[in-house]
Amino acid sequence: MKYRIKIGRTVFANPVLAASGTFGFGLKFPGVANRIGGIVTKGITVEPREGSPLPRIYEFPGGILNSVGLENPGVRRFRKEILPELRRLKCRVIVNIAGFSIDEFIELVDGLDYKRVDGFELNLSCPNVKNGGVTFGQSPRMVERITKAVRKSTNKTLIVKLTGNFIDPLKTAKAAEQGGADAVCLINTLFGMALDESGRHFLGGRTGGISGPCLKPFALFCVERVASKMTIPVIGCGGIMSGMDAIDFLSAGATMVQVGTASLVNPKASLAVWQALGDWCRRHEVKDWEDIVGRTKRQD
Amino acid sequence: MWIEQPILATHVKPGQFLNIKVSSEPDPLLRRPISVADVTGEKVRLVFRVVGRGTELLSRNRAGDIVDVLGPLGKPAMIFRNRDIIVCGGGVGAAPLLYLTRYLDKCSRVEVFLGARNRSQLILVADFRKLGIKPEIATDDGSMGWHGPVTEPVFRAVQKKKRPIVMACGPKPMLVDLVAKVDPVPVWGFVEQRMGCGVGICYCCGLRRKNGGYIRLCQEGPVVLLNEVEL
Repeated sequence: MKYRIKIGRTVFANPVLAASGTFGFGLKFPGVANRIGGIVTKGITVEPREGSPLPRIYEFPGGILNSVGLENPGVRRFRKEILPELRRLKCRVIVNIAGFSIDEFIELVDGLDYKRVDGFELNLSCPNVKNGGVTFGQSPRMVERITKAVRKSTNKTLIVKLTGNFIDPLKTAKAAEQGGADAVCLINTLFGMALDESGRHFLGGRTGGISGPCLKPFALFCVERVASKMTIPVIGCGGIMSGMDAIDFLSAGATMVQVGTASLVNPKASLAVWQALGDWCRRHEVKDWEDIVGRTKRQD
Repeated sequence: MWIEQPILATHVKPGQFLNIKVSSEPDPLLRRPISVADVTGEKVRLVFRVVGRGTELLSRNRAGDIVDVLGPLGKPAMIFRNRDIIVCGGGVGAAPLLYLTRYLDKCSRVEVFLGARNRSQLILVADFRKLGIKPEIATDDGSMGWHGPVTEPVFRAVQKKKRPIVMACGPKPMLVDLVAKVDPVPVWGFVEQRMGCGVGICYCCGLRRKNGGYIRLCQEGPVVLLNEVEL
């Protein structure tokens, strides 16, 4: 079986990606990065951001809550210090970009027009920033405008990472499709918060984003809802901890998957997911991804 | 608790920690960072206090059990040569200082101060003695040694030395008090923080620098120059 998958102009060796924000820039674990489909970098903004106050992470049965607040060195330092390092990686590199205006998105894309950057993931779903992020992602109109503007500026592969927070992802996914995206990624973290014993917000950023195993049923639902009604591929993300979780997402209609929180528990998790997925395919004599992708709907 | 792992035991340096999956179940999901207290032969020693579910589950391990360990992680502590080092531990904070002292004692002049709420909360005193060091004790209730905070005798010791360095581990209030008391003497401290991955990819274990921005504790720590950060 051929495991390769093409999205936009990018050919991925297999359908497993390391999700943004949970794998840094992929440089700590090149052995993992080089053997999965590719990595999505931590979100990059135009200006450097120091991120949310502490604490930034809270654990609960079923998942975690985080508010890192897009801490990153900004596009200039990323270009100067991180991009040259990324040339050591052999895998596909998708840069997650988070603008706070349409102009900023264009500035980010223009500033990252390098061969090493295989594509962009538009972050229209970060719940931990005051403007931009999820506020953009909750408006189908904004999703379409931003996607369209970025599409005009680059012919690199374009993925739009969407939210499931208080908006029907089908509407925003359609908007991304209209705007010229090559794929959508569903879903980013969901709004959440935790309190301490005295009733104060636990996280320094007050609210955060829920991720981990508890997200999977909702993410799976979103993927199924969107995938069958789109012409562009859907990348499934949310609570994937094992190869079987990945198969569930493919069955629900996702063409690729992203492994996020699992990497925090085990930095090799995305590779483990890919190996388990590959093994499963061999065991079940899968000939083509088409046999699995979207099979749930076909069996209804 | 002892973990037998020859490669780990050879490579782990004082100041480093292990990130341990305390349960094979998905809950608790995240690993628990535990500092290395000592190394003997092929065994790594961990000493921790049960404070929550994670450490409680970890404490349930029995001899012969297999644990899922990621490490050694973090930056090794600075091993200063030919200096006067004051080692200050509070409560269970004495643990990582034992392994550190084993290294420091070979190349510097070391004095150890251990404090706790009371006599029963003091740990590893005998282990320090085995290194040939007699730790000065302080307890909040006076049940052993100096009656009062350990930072008091540390302060007096620091004053007698020329260009001393303090290396400390303990509860946050102790560290804050220590830095203020011995100022401007450099205090290197083991800092505890909610941690996500432990390997520098999630940016959750930040520590705020006094001159702005955050450092990742799992990368630039867990032993940091406390004078430069906000605790």
